[in-house]
Amino acid sequence: MDGEIVRYKRDVWGEEVILGVSWDLLWVVATAILILLAAHAIIMAVLANRKMDKPSSEGRRVNRHHVVDRAFHWIMAVSVLVLIITGTAPILGWRIAWLNIHWIAGLVLTFVVIFHIIRAFFWQDFKSMLLGPRDFGEPFDSAKKPGKYSFEQKGMHWAMTVVVLAVIVTGVVLFLQIDTPFWDRTNSMPEDQLGLMFLLHGLSTLALIALTVTHIYFALRPEKLFYTRSMITGWISEDEMAANHDTSKWSPKEAE
Amino acid sequence: MAYMHIGKDFVPQDAPGKVTGRIKYAEDYARDGMVYARLLSSPIPHARVLDIDASEAMAMDGVFGILTADDVYPDGEPDGTGLKVLTNEPTLIGEPILAVAAVDEKTAEDALERISVTFERLPFVLDPLDSLQEGGPDAYTGGNTYIFRQGFAQVKWTADQVAGFRSGTEPSAEAQQDVSFGDLGQAFSESAFVYESPFSTAGYPHMSMEPRSAFAYWENGKCFLHGSSQSMTPVAEGMAAIVGCPVEDFVFINEATGGGFGQKARPNSIPSMAIPAKFSQKINRPVMMRISREEETFIGGARQGFQGWIKVGFRQDGTMAALDMYIVSDNGGKGGGGDAYSAADAIVVLYQPSAMRFRGTAVGTNTGHRGAQRGPGQNQIAAIIAPLIDKAAEELGIDRLEIRKINAHETGDGNARQAPATSAYMPEALEQASALFNLPERLGRSRARSGSKITGIGIGQGYHDAGRSGMDGIVRLMPDGRLQIHSGVGNLGTYSYAATSRAAAEVLKMPWERCDVIHGRSDRHLPMTSPQDGSNSIFTNTRTNFGAAMDLLDKMKEIAAMDLGGSVEDYDIADERVYQTADDSVGMTFAQVAQRGIELGGKYSGQAEVPEGISDFTRLSVERLAGSALMGIYNDPRHEGNVPGLTVSMIEIELDTETGKYEILDMCSIADCGTVVHPQGLANQLRGGAVWGIGLAGYERHLYDPQNGLPASTGYWQSKIPTLLDVPDNMGTGWVDLPDPENPVGARGIGEPAMGSVSAALVSAISDALDGHFFGAAPITADMIINHLAGTSENAKALAQNNFRG
Amino acid sequence: MVATSHDVMPDIELYQPTDEANALALARELGTNGWLLSGGQDTYGWLKDRAKRPGAMIELTRIDAWKGIRETADGIEIGAVTTLTEIAENPLLLSRYGLLAEAAGKVASPQIRNVGTLGGNLCQDTRCWYYRRGLDCYRAGGNLCYADSPEALNREHALFGASRCVAVSPSDTAPALVALDATMVISSASGQRTVDAEDFFIGPAQDILHMTVLRPGEILTAVRIPAAWANAEYYFEKVADRNVWDFALVNIAAAMKVSGGAIEEARMVCGAVECVPRRLRSVESAVRGMPRSEQTAEQVAALATEGARPLNYNHFKVPLMQNLVKRAVRG
Repeated sequence: MDGEIVRYKRDVWGEEVILGVSWDLLWVVATAILILLAAHAIIMAVLANRKMDKPSSEGRRVNRHHVVDRAFHWIMAVSVLVLIITGTAPILGWRIAWLNIHWIAGLVLTFVVIFHIIRAFFWQDFKSMLLGPRDFGEPFDSAKKPGKYSFEQKGMHWAMTVVVLAVIVTGVVLFLQIDTPFWDRTNSMPEDQLGLMFLLHGLSTLALIALTVTHIYFALRPEKLFYTRSMITGWISEDEMAANHDTSKWSPKEAE
Repeated sequence: MAYMHIGKDFVPQDAPGKVTGRIKYAEDYARDGMVYARLLSSPIPHARVLDIDASEAMAMDGVFGILTADDVYPDGEPDGTGLKVLTNEPTLIGEPILAVAAVDEKTAEDALERISVTFERLPFVLDPLDSLQEGGPDAYTGGNTYIFRQGFAQVKWTADQVAGFRSGTEPSAEAQQDVSFGDLGQAFSESAFVYESPFSTAGYPHMSMEPRSAFAYWENGKCFLHGSSQSMTPVAEGMAAIVGCPVEDFVFINEATGGGFGQKARPNSIPSMAIPAKFSQKINRPVMMRISREEETFIGGARQGFQGWIKVGFRQDGTMAALDMYIVSDNGGKGGGGDAYSAADAIVVLYQPSAMRFRGTAVGTNTGHRGAQRGPGQNQIAAIIAPLIDKAAEELGIDRLEIRKINAHETGDGNARQAPATSAYMPEALEQASALFNLPERLGRSRARSGSKITGIGIGQGYHDAGRSGMDGIVRLMPDGRLQIHSGVGNLGTYSYAATSRAAAEVLKMPWERCDVIHGRSDRHLPMTSPQDGSNSIFTNTRTNFGAAMDLLDKMKEIAAMDLGGSVEDYDIADERVYQTADDSVGMTFAQVAQRGIELGGKYSGQAEVPEGISDFTRLSVERLAGSALMGIYNDPRHEGNVPGLTVSMIEIELDTETGKYEILDMCSIADCGTVVHPQGLANQLRGGAVWGIGLAGYERHLYDPQNGLPASTGYWQSKIPTLLDVPDNMGTGWVDLPDPENPVGARGIGEPAMGSVSAALVSAISDALDGHFFGAAPITADMIINHLAGTSENAKALAQNNFRG
Repeated sequence: MVATSHDVMPDIELYQPTDEANALALARELGTNGWLLSGGQDTYGWLKDRAKRPGAMIELTRIDAWKGIRETADGIEIGAVTTLTEIAENPLLLSRYGLLAEAAGKVASPQIRNVGTLGGNLCQDTRCWYYRRGLDCYRAGGNLCYADSPEALNREHALFGASRCVAVSPSDTAPALVALDATMVISSASGQRTVDAEDFFIGPAQDILHMTVLRPGEILTAVRIPAAWANAEYYFEKVADRNVWDFALVNIAAAMKVSGGAIEEARMVCGAVECVPRRLRSVESAVRGMPRSEQTAEQVAALATEGARPLNYNHFKVPLMQNLVKRAVRG
């Protein structure tokens, strides 16, 4: 590793321009995130003794995620994973014909994200996801409970939003630079701008990988697993709701 | 006339060195303390150097310095197009910006990588028509063309005018050059067959085998420059000026040259050779500058490419009535040549239309610099006109050989634009070629099919004016009786420096082994002559050597008469003696005459009565030689008329319709170049010209990536110079061998037409095999033939230059 | 600063191992910093122009074990360091595998064939002129292809299988070996593996930086040709601009087992139309059971170019490829 973040190349006339992100950073990000999550797991294990009992999943159920949102989530999850795997395959030396899968997955992601944005604005409780100044006190005050989404969940959502939009925007620009069934590339983009797009796509990819790994980690943590279940089944129990949420802020309908 | 030397083969003195590899070219010399220069050349098609930071390179061990345009031109670079030694305003990729010198090439190359040059990128253009279009980019800062004595200018056409031309119609824009004679309208109205078509020909690089490497050092105020030129004294004189060294202190050394091809003829087309001289002066060390094959592509220059439109009219009897031609020629990155008018002139000389109009506009592009390449203009157009002559023959029901004879150029032929031919025997050349090639039989199998193969028969004609006059000659009869013939002719590989010297030996009836040709270094006191371009050498320099030898002969007879009695008329020479014709026992040996000449001094030894017209350069040589021998000194008067070099070539091919490839089964070339001086040399000229002509008609290319202006055809492989297996095993040669009255030994030149007629014959054969299809292009490559036959096409721009034509 | 011409060899380590183990150990040790040198005909241009900058070269020509042509139980094995001239002139190959001998004899020029090796001809890098110019294109690890812009000069480029990069396989022997169903023997310090000739070459979709499956530390040491295709009916033709010292515009290698006037089985491969030698499977299956005739040739030729995607200047390759298929089929 040479400790660089940006890789440079010579443009067609020999001047130095940005080529893209240094993929050495992939290992830096992977190592850093694994260390952080391992540390988190150890601390949680130490603290586990003092924890309250796990709320019961039995009893009455309330709706947490509409089926449309669950479908959106999993389509997005699959496309992001496919994008990460196909995008990193050539970097890891894995010889697969990755590019077509990559852009098709990218298109899927783009369409579902657009769908989600429209749906979030007009049909969902947009406010439930808003992150206000008061939310930042939540982690430090065990008495404070969130509404539908916790501070961490909102944080993850908005971080994901920024990163995914960055990946999509840069990805679409790069998509225009390759031949597809819809158009032939023009190679008309100045090389420095193209390099910048590759750099931003690479950086946002690294962030996306970090967030995705973190997200999967938390989704699989025992105390959060009911959220993952709710993303599959749609519901959580009233007990789980009472233990983790302030019902004055969030009063979902009972699940059928 | 029975000659002793003229028309006889001989071994030129440098031939053994070339065969054994012992002869030295510029790159083969060395000197104590020499250092090596490498060039940093422009990576950008059109730019301005804003800053050069060489501090890192200069700090390296073994680096001795850099040389920039500011060193070469302290008062600013010369205005106008034209090659510069080094430049801060490159107008083509590969143009030298600076040189760095180091203890070895590797260090110099490493140093180059540590030099940072900041460029301002400027608009560039690769196709003349793109530049002509309103709003199109200009190749130069200040315009897209340069007008002599006026400066840079912009020539622009409307978008419709450009589009119309590309679509094949007659260009309607006003041309820079508009030349005509006769009544064109009348001539076309008399025509039974009129054909008009757009056409394009490729410019392509010279690619001489020996690149323009140069080596220089200064010693005691004298500059010694080893270079690679096709000329000697004219380059020595001009290079001294470029280097900034008085001509008397400048020594140009160039005993052998690995090919010149037109752009090594004159100093202003090889100014890069001044780099080591300037550098050596700056760092006070001998400097060797090796030029790589790729660098040679850039600094070696290229032929002009044509974007043209031609209209020809033939009368029912087969005579060419009218020629109307419009050519936009590609001047490249540093200004170009006069190829376009020469193209029109060649058609006029070869086919003699009653009326002609030529319009031409030359436009710069940011591609290789352009200049004369063998038959500049004449040879490009030869490949275009030949299939049109065939078309006319077919349409008018005239034999293909006959139509050429009907229009043939003969002694005394001329027109309003061209002086009468001193002598010309085109009908004889056509007949001789036809007989040698057995043309009637071959024409019988024209277009015959065998499987996927079709036979094509081609006839081509070549022309170039081939002789100059007014130059100087120096010969010396040494005290030991040897004859020293001083030749200012360059050694470009044709051995003409030696062949032309034989005119002097002929006059003095000297055995060749008793003659020394003094050449190859300007400090050997050589006479000024014309550059070795324009196929002139054999005509020009047999005149000067003949004249100088006659002067020597007169002096010998004068001395003999003075010492032995009688008058000059009483004496003759033979067997290296001057003797009385009445009693051949009364005489002197050449050695004795020479010794007497030195004793007598004055005009005999070059100390007085030196001919007034000789050039300053020759005068300096004479001054330095004065007193050393009995000298013959001569300033040649001007000749009258146009001296044509004419060739006829015939080719039979078998074209494979499935691969677009063809095999040249047989070919021959016949030269009409007056009396033949050196048969082997002439045969080689014809064969070498044939290879080159095959290259023009079928292979060679000049490619630049349109988006970024990058050169694609650098080096031999990408330029597609024909190889041994692309040319026929057997190339028949022959010559008419009838003397020209304006030359004392009857000789005319032949170098350039030797190529043109072969280009013409090959295109004519390809066209014949394809039922007379007119591609309107040279070269015609395999892909073009396949596309024509398959009905496919490429995304090519019509008439594109520096690109594929599809 | 990039100068446009170099032509000066840089400092570079040179290893000249004389035995296999040493060479393989060096290859492993040097990894991507090492450059395998055989005849050097592809190497020196890269290095002198400084477009590739390895730290060391491992010269393979002193290892006798990787040279020569041997008969084996199931055919023939050719050391990868065998020169192309030897292959073109070898009596055994000429009598049984004339397809390969002919292809080897069409490579470049006699001088190049005298030093160039089979391994070198198979592993050589593409001749895309943009890439060879030293541009940082996709294939050089960059992020665009200069050869496929709307006006790019891509007359010599791909009809098929382009993925960002449109470069083609330059080899004449590769199509012959794929047609002969050869096996590539790949050695490394950790052992030996074999790969079918057809799978040895990879396109830009799989790996835009490499043209073969060789990994750092691996060396192509031999090629095995099975007896199954010995003495089959062969056809090889290379169409290039020039008849010597040039790369193919399109070449074709075909091996056919003909019995009772009908083609029982055929393998047909075109070079210079894709980044890998292109198997013409649809033609192969269409000619099965058909006679080698003009009629068959006319029927199947168009199948060869189905799916072709010509670029700006290589449309001519479509009819040329069809014509070569015709010639191969009719014999």
